[in-house]
Amino acid sequence: MTAVQPKTLQPTAMMSGRYQRAFTIAVVLLVAGWHLAGAGGQLLHNRTDYGSFAFQAAMWLIMALAVIAGSVLVLHDVPGWRPAWAVAVIALAASTAAAAASPDARMLAVNWAWGSAGWIGVLVLFRRRFTELAWFLAAEAAAILAVQVGDGLHRTDLAGFLALLAWSTGAQVAVAAGVRALRLAAGQAAAAAQSEHAARERAATAEIVQAARHARWLALQESAVPLVAELAEGTADPGDAQVRIRCAVQAARLRRLLAEGDEVSGSLVHELHASADVAERRGVAVEIETAGPLPPVPGPARRVITDAAIAILTAARSRVRITLAAVAAGIAVSFVADTGAAVLLPAIGDGVSIEHQQDGAMLWAEARWNSP
Amino acid sequence: MEQPVTAAIVEDHPVVTEGVASWIRSDPGQRVRLVQTARDLAGLRTAPGPPAEVVILDLELSGELVIRQIPGLVSAGYRVVAFSGHTDPAIVMETLDSGAHAYVSKEEGRDHLVEAVLAAAADRPYVTRSQAKAMLADQRPARPALSQQEQQALLLWFQGMSKASVGRRMSISENTVRQYINRARAKYAATGRTAPSKDALLARAIEDGVIKAGEIMSYKSFARTAADPPLGAPGH
Repeated sequence: MTAVQPKTLQPTAMMSGRYQRAFTIAVVLLVAGWHLAGAGGQLLHNRTDYGSFAFQAAMWLIMALAVIAGSVLVLHDVPGWRPAWAVAVIALAASTAAAAASPDARMLAVNWAWGSAGWIGVLVLFRRRFTELAWFLAAEAAAILAVQVGDGLHRTDLAGFLALLAWSTGAQVAVAAGVRALRLAAGQAAAAAQSEHAARERAATAEIVQAARHARWLALQESAVPLVAELAEGTADPGDAQVRIRCAVQAARLRRLLAEGDEVSGSLVHELHASADVAERRGVAVEIETAGPLPPVPGPARRVITDAAIAILTAARSRVRITLAAVAAGIAVSFVADTGAAVLLPAIGDGVSIEHQQDGAMLWAEARWNSP
Repeated sequence: MEQPVTAAIVEDHPVVTEGVASWIRSDPGQRVRLVQTARDLAGLRTAPGPPAEVVILDLELSGELVIRQIPGLVSAGYRVVAFSGHTDPAIVMETLDSGAHAYVSKEEGRDHLVEAVLAAAADRPYVTRSQAKAMLADQRPARPALSQQEQQALLLWFQGMSKASVGRRMSISENTVRQYINRARAKYAATGRTAPSKDALLARAIEDGVIKAGEIMSYKSFARTAADPPLGAPGH
């Protein structure tokens, strides 16, 4: 499984942001359209019915400005309740004033402002808590009702009021709730996508870590675990030189297993360095030289080579020279060490052949891996 | 007994100069005599004492590489043995191509510096392990074609075996090992820019029977025509 790039998280958040902006724009268009066509149309249609058309027109203009101000607020995502409520209260005041200035008997029939005020409330408050919008719409209904009561409330007026309330406020509540639900859904979708990404990433990482751990565990099962068990049982004596050598070998293997994880280029060199570390702590001088661009060596072959390295590094008395050279069809890893006596070299395989020569105290060994 | 070879050291670190001097002093045969020390190349010209045959040159003086000054030294009649902390094959190759007789890394100094100075004085090749590494790592299209035997001897020498061990490994005499390695070095002397030191080295190699004149000629024509001879391709 390929690694998930953190970059992919961003587009989901951006996508959710884009949806939210689309909803905001839709609300702005709806409210502006209503005020212009709906309220404006009704105002012009009933222009002869008002005591003062100029006053009604002025109120309409104030509310138009409120629409513009509210649109700016939501499109620029201005935070805080004060600007939103300021616009809402201005709209409510203008709407109430327009209603109060309407002819008493036909107030509800010629009222253009109630709907607009409600929509402005939706515009500036839909991003806030739903109760705020509910309070605003209730206040507006109460204001109109109060005007109507002041004008004289008949049964027919009450019926008209309730019909208007149901129609206008119902539509406003429905739109506000709908937009809210859509915004929520978009946000949830984005969050879900994000957490899914994160989960996938975690799963992939866990898989890799698990596989690496398993491989290390298997390798340790074969060698380190029996040694630790023998030490625990007392069948292996730490005072015995042979046991100490076995411990040194296992320490080197552990080190190499830890180094095996990183996928650095020239990881064979890296692993050899890790193997050399233990010998260096024993006071053995280890030099590692490379000649030429080295081909990548597959894992199993690397393991055969580092096993040989560990055996030789463990047996070395004071110095080891390890060289890696690119040869015609692969790589030649050689060891020259003052081992004193012959060293038992590990089994060959996985494309690796090992040759060695003992010259007095000096051992020369060469592991060759040929690319298939 | 032969006259000792005269040598000069150009080295900006007095401690290193002292170390080199002590290696020269501790040579049982006292085959080299240090006649001049200088901290830079200008100092070499004005230093008291008779002119030296061989200059042991630190490649980095006051933080600057002086490889480009080597041709000047060679033209002035010096044999140059480069002595440097660098082991980068590209630097080694550039140094040899500039006309240095041998390249000795600072790690190899104790074992090889005196021998390299003696070889240089006699115009004979001397190949250190760092030089062998640079030859093995050489990927340039214009590199000389080495025979499989030369290649193998160079590889084993680079790996850290003694020449006697290389001989046992290859079932040849130690002398033949030397011959293979020196022949590889001579082939390099026949490539790249011309320098009196390289000509002298080649002439001596022919005289000593390390390489045949015909081998150099045929090699040279091969180098000009082959765009990129494969590493390890047999020589002539």
